[in-house]
Amino acid sequence: MTSSVDSVLVLGGGVAGMAAAQTLGDRNVRVHLVETADRLGGHAASWACMATDSCRQCGACLALDMAQQAARHANISVHLNTTMDTLKKNGPGFDVRLTSGKRIQAARIILATGFTPFDPSVLSGLHFGQHEKLITTARLNQLLKEEALAGFLGNAAAPDIAFIQCVGSRNRELQRDFCSQVCCKISLRHADKLMHLMPDAAITLFHMDLQVIGKETRCLAADLSGRIQLAQGVPAEILEDRETGRLRLITEDPGARARTARSFDLVVLSVGMAPSPELEMLAARLGAGPNVWGFFNTSDASLPDGIHAAGCAAGPRDIPGSIQDGRIAAAKVLADLDPARAKTRDILVWGNGPQAVTIARNLAERGHQTTCFGQGDAPDGILCMAPEKILSVDGVAGCFTVRYLQDGVCRTLTCGAIIAAPEPEFTPAVLRGPVAGTIDLAAFADIPPDRVPESVAILLDYSGPEFKPFARLALTSAMAARTAGRQVTLIMNKMLVHGATGQQRYDQARKAGVRFLRINAPADIQIEKTGTGFSLTLDEATLPGIPVTFSCETLVVPAARVPGRDFQKTAGLLKQALDKEGFLQSANVRHRPVQSPRKGIYFAGPGHDEVDDADLAEELDAILADLDFSGPSPEPGVEINQKKCAQCLTCLRICPHHAIVLNDKARPEIVPAACFSCHLCVANCPALAIESGHFSTDRLADQFQKDRMVILACQRSAALAAGPLDLPDHIQLVPVPCACRTSPSLVLKALLAGASQVIVAGCHEHNCRSMDGSTTAAREVARLQTLPGITPDRVSWHPVAASETQRFARILLDAGMS
Amino acid sequence: METAPLDKNTELGRLLNRLTRGDNIDECLTCGICNSRCTWFDGPGGPLPRQIVRMAALGLEQALVDSHMLWDCLICNRCTQACPMGITMDLVVTRARGLAAADGQIPGDIRKGIKTRLELGDVNGLTTEEFVETVEWMSEEFADEMEDPEARIPHDQPGCRFLYLPNPRELGINLMHLTAMARLFYAMGETWTLSSHHTDVTNWGYFVGKEDVAKEMVRMVVEPAEALGIETLVLSECGHGYHVLKCKAAQLLGREPKFNVVSIPELCLAYAQKGILKFDPDVHPYEIAYHDPCNVARKSGGYEAPRQLLALCCHGVRELVPNREDGVCCGGGGGILQDSSSTKKRMITGKPKADQMRATGLKHLATACLSCHRQLGELSTHFELGMKVDTVAALASECLIL
Repeated sequence: MTSSVDSVLVLGGGVAGMAAAQTLGDRNVRVHLVETADRLGGHAASWACMATDSCRQCGACLALDMAQQAARHANISVHLNTTMDTLKKNGPGFDVRLTSGKRIQAARIILATGFTPFDPSVLSGLHFGQHEKLITTARLNQLLKEEALAGFLGNAAAPDIAFIQCVGSRNRELQRDFCSQVCCKISLRHADKLMHLMPDAAITLFHMDLQVIGKETRCLAADLSGRIQLAQGVPAEILEDRETGRLRLITEDPGARARTARSFDLVVLSVGMAPSPELEMLAARLGAGPNVWGFFNTSDASLPDGIHAAGCAAGPRDIPGSIQDGRIAAAKVLADLDPARAKTRDILVWGNGPQAVTIARNLAERGHQTTCFGQGDAPDGILCMAPEKILSVDGVAGCFTVRYLQDGVCRTLTCGAIIAAPEPEFTPAVLRGPVAGTIDLAAFADIPPDRVPESVAILLDYSGPEFKPFARLALTSAMAARTAGRQVTLIMNKMLVHGATGQQRYDQARKAGVRFLRINAPADIQIEKTGTGFSLTLDEATLPGIPVTFSCETLVVPAARVPGRDFQKTAGLLKQALDKEGFLQSANVRHRPVQSPRKGIYFAGPGHDEVDDADLAEELDAILADLDFSGPSPEPGVEINQKKCAQCLTCLRICPHHAIVLNDKARPEIVPAACFSCHLCVANCPALAIESGHFSTDRLADQFQKDRMVILACQRSAALAAGPLDLPDHIQLVPVPCACRTSPSLVLKALLAGASQVIVAGCHEHNCRSMDGSTTAAREVARLQTLPGITPDRVSWHPVAASETQRFARILLDAGMS
Repeated sequence: METAPLDKNTELGRLLNRLTRGDNIDECLTCGICNSRCTWFDGPGGPLPRQIVRMAALGLEQALVDSHMLWDCLICNRCTQACPMGITMDLVVTRARGLAAADGQIPGDIRKGIKTRLELGDVNGLTTEEFVETVEWMSEEFADEMEDPEARIPHDQPGCRFLYLPNPRELGINLMHLTAMARLFYAMGETWTLSSHHTDVTNWGYFVGKEDVAKEMVRMVVEPAEALGIETLVLSECGHGYHVLKCKAAQLLGREPKFNVVSIPELCLAYAQKGILKFDPDVHPYEIAYHDPCNVARKSGGYEAPRQLLALCCHGVRELVPNREDGVCCGGGGGILQDSSSTKKRMITGKPKADQMRATGLKHLATACLSCHRQLGELSTHFELGMKVDTVAALASECLIL
């Protein structure tokens, strides 16, 4: 059992460190969270919100929410402006002295020192620092956060803006032969944000191979195509046009076989990630051996026993990925400190594909009682069943009841958690032509390399942006065939180089002589069947005007990944939304990557995202981090007064977290373990039977004062944004647990109390932790505005993210003037 | 449209993938960085480095050999400087030129120059008799000029410390330059000599990618120098000559030459630092800009010596922007200057340099390569820059305190 001396030291107060600290703190472990800066939150907390008309899932807002929670956490001691000074091994733990002089006995250490943006002045040809309008993505974030971009661009209505990807990434000469994983997503979001702010801007995004990976990015890239120009090929020299003062780039003119100069008002360098200077300083003291890049994401890196790396200290990751990694590290520490504490549960794996079986096997190995919906041989410890029909999924985390039909009989299964991992469908690619006789990639990968025909071509990106695991599979099987002496050609629009060693794998394949051809669109390839195989003629993107031709015996085309036919029904049974493409799990960043708004229901595998085997293991770790060591249930602060309850079951119907169940007396009851405390039920109970400790209507109404501007602000977004603002006396901020708490009656009460105006402010659409809280609030405000005497300058709705302090200040200023 | 069959297994492909790095065309990431770095900038025509590499990598040998890009390339390696895979463009282009050369596509002047050089040891066709006659006459003049009967321009003296390898122009149209260099050796007080077997620092075999020719030209320099038993071979200010003899000689010959190789500015700087050479900067009472010859700077790492020497000889050195590893080619590299039909083209390739020169607002420019020197002078005239262009060593000689 952990004792007071058994505290855990978390080095780094960014999202990974905070997630680790929170996870440990929630399980009653004492945590020392040590941060060199003067605030928690890391880079993410200083980044701009990328929401346009709705959330773009960047996750920056999460950092501020987490920082507030960590600072308030009873089990977390936060040490700011501090780092580790000395470290001495003491048994399995460590004696640590901080630079503040404080001594800590740490049972374990989590290294979460984050990253530092690559310094582009290393690349002398960019002339970084010599032109004001040549900036990095980090600086653009700052300008956006401070609402200073328009001024910075001289209020130009239609600026020409360039993004240059892979600055300091994918560069073997710099000993940085890795993809920084996040930059393409960041630049796509930035481009989207800029188009939102300046609809007449002309944006060009220069990339090496645009990494369109993950449901959020796929949708965004599709949405942006046509609105911005995507240009393959990255300029590496930024010149100044002396006459106009603009920035000039020389690029290949795709139409002619020539170079051309293009001028821009702003050039944004999408800089990669480098290890933080703190890590470089601490590595020796910790006895840590990072890899050549300075990270811990390859097998040649090493960490001493008792020290775990999390987040970007381990390797480049995005914000949701870092949070997940922090939780996984915390779970490893928990398992390490007190293995007996791990709970075992009954878990249902919903799915019958190979990934579902992998998950089930893993769960069984860790002692969980596992049931798998699927046919086939049941490995030891797994109960496999193939119901004819699943009828319903009721209950809450810890106690789900699944009713299903088998052999014509309705049966019931109870389980503590459900992992939804159904297999998507893979539809065979249909070639324009049409040409028959191609081989599916998965089938090709199963052919032993020495039985592969003499010449092979693999055709990627043919049915849309390639499914990430297939890009990897194509590369590995191409490499295997090449090693066996085969002539291998890989045709692609872009090569996905995700993962720590994706770039190295691609480099090795080229070096081994796999021939890579690039096409702009599938229409650029003509395929003909010949006596011995196929003849391909294509307009190679790097050689415009020289159509090239070659033949191969075997043509391999991956299938297209599409949502399974039963996904709609599965989502319906689990009471979960599908994403825009029809795959499982909404893109809501509050629950990504693997969780859902319904506690105890998790997503894994390719049915919800572009998940390969390595990702699947990580997803499972993340799920188990949540399951194995679940902490005490938070106090929801809401309760149904059974005397007042009219049993209309409105609450049960609307609860976005399905945390209200009928008890054995057939009356609705809130299950604390499942409740997120959004108060939607409180705002909507017709009998006013649901009572709240902190946010009852009366308690809120008591705060309303005459002649004040009342802001009903979601405590997860707008209230956090207002935190740093020094609000004048005439503005009264009333935090609410979620925007959906603001029922029309509450707003009317504020007006009756004499409020000069009421502003309801909450998360951006699709960012609400309770899914529809913001849209509900926006709808209610719009409805109020139809009432006589209530004009938009008296009652209004504003989506404001936690990171939008400056924007919120402007909104309040504008509102005050109206 | 005619289509080109892909054939990876070509002579060029094999040649270019022989090394693990450097000319490893198969490793091209198709990132396009090279295109943005080409010294032609947005001038009309010129090469697209990525297309050159891709044609080579995909075995489109005929398309590459037929392409104007091969001969437009100034092999300045500006693209290479930023290549994430370290693909060395001068190797790719010169080897592809070597193939084209087999097809008889070498520009006429260069073909003629190579022939003359191989036959007579001098690209301009200077015979040994003419050399001896010229040098002995100059030696007499030099004694008069120095007012020292012992002052000489020696030739074919064995056992000297230094052997000076001049640029052919120093024995042709620019004899004054050779005298200027002689003043420097005189002031150093070391034994030195010219060689009648050594009248030419250039190596046009490198320009056309003919390794056998380049090797023969190196051999023609190295073996007689070794026979003279010299300690150090001092090179005239010549960019590609310096690059080949300094960086490639051992590889071409298959052995290290038995002497050191330095350029004349490097040698002067060393003697200045020893306190033996002294300069009067007031002879050049102005600030001067410095142009990095690609072959000396980016391709051989010789960034600092010419600058440091220049700083001793003038009132300040101004940088062109950009410079050093990002320096812009004068526009005469890669053999283009040696092709008399390319004058018009050289004013296109030289435009970015001319813009840089103009931006300094200065009247003086120095460089450490006689080819750059000629091109820069022509740019100054063509673009009406009013800039006087000198070589670093010539300026040093001018302000030498004897």
